[in-house]
Amino acid sequence: MHAFYALVSGPLVWAAFALFLGGSIWKIASLMAETKAKDTYVVEYWSWSHAFASFVHWLVPFMSTNSRRQPVMTVVTFLFHIGIVLVPLFTLGHLVLLEESVLGVSWAALPDSVVDAAAWIVVLGCVYFAWRRLTLPEVRFVTSAADFVILLVVAAPFVTGIMAYHGWGDNLLMTSLHMLCGEIMLAAIPFTRLSHMLTFWYTRGYTASEFGAVRNVYDW
Amino acid sequence: MHPRHVLAALALAALAAVALVAAPTAWSQDDIVELKAEAFGTHLRPAAVFKHDEHNEKAGLDDCARCHHYYEDGKLVEGQDSVGTPCSDCHALKGAGGQPGLREAYHRQCKDCHVEKAAGPLACGECHTGS
Repeated sequence: MHAFYALVSGPLVWAAFALFLGGSIWKIASLMAETKAKDTYVVEYWSWSHAFASFVHWLVPFMSTNSRRQPVMTVVTFLFHIGIVLVPLFTLGHLVLLEESVLGVSWAALPDSVVDAAAWIVVLGCVYFAWRRLTLPEVRFVTSAADFVILLVVAAPFVTGIMAYHGWGDNLLMTSLHMLCGEIMLAAIPFTRLSHMLTFWYTRGYTASEFGAVRNVYDW
Repeated sequence: MHPRHVLAALALAALAAVALVAAPTAWSQDDIVELKAEAFGTHLRPAAVFKHDEHNEKAGLDDCARCHHYYEDGKLVEGQDSVGTPCSDCHALKGAGGQPGLREAYHRQCKDCHVEKAAGPLACGECHTGS
């Protein structure tokens, strides 16, 4: 068990961050190169003011028409995304390991109860998204098996994290599995649908530029 | 002698006996069962379980300086230990230069050895148990 922990807390951390950072740079660079080669009008009509206004418009709950039309999805998706960003960055255990790492940096953690609740919300969010993909015809139509795999990849670090925190199961095994699942998720970001973390800004910005600066219509 | 006085005398004698028997164990290292430094102020997690004598027996540790190390001008002094000096006397809450902060000092003191020996707890919930 010590050897497994040594692997997931050592070399695999470096591998995961290398894949995440390197992959992200590759993803953005290839997106830019492809745009330049095939869709130059994205660059020509790009408007930063419309792009920024649209980021705000779509990142404030119930501001966009679409988010008002689907109130349950809006609440779930916002809480889910807040959780998925806050939990990795502000869990005490993560910051303790960061403090002991070669980086030697750390910042204040959120209270355990807050992080625990946020982690549960992320897991329940994954369950809701899966249920939605299975039951709503318009979502089912665009769903493939890969979408469920992605939901599992996202849920796994949170489920194992909750179990490790509450002391459910062998603690060293659960913590090691938690690290492994987190590394898989991090490495998967640039190469899967999770890359919307990087590409959201591009597609939203382009749509806003075309609607606002070219067609001069309202950003719904 | 009034019966009440006899009772009071007996009670006092009993108290004294308890104090005599209990005092040495209360102050001996047998009683170290957790690592709880008051210097932390607010404790974010339950104190780490650590049964001093049981641990050292199991780990075959005779050298006190293995944990109770002694540093002078940032250099480890071999053959000298710091038994009796609380960790927090040297380790402030925040690290300074090469000297780790109190939390990091505790964590590294335990975990580095456990990694080296491939034995003993490493994950948060293995030491910080309890509620």
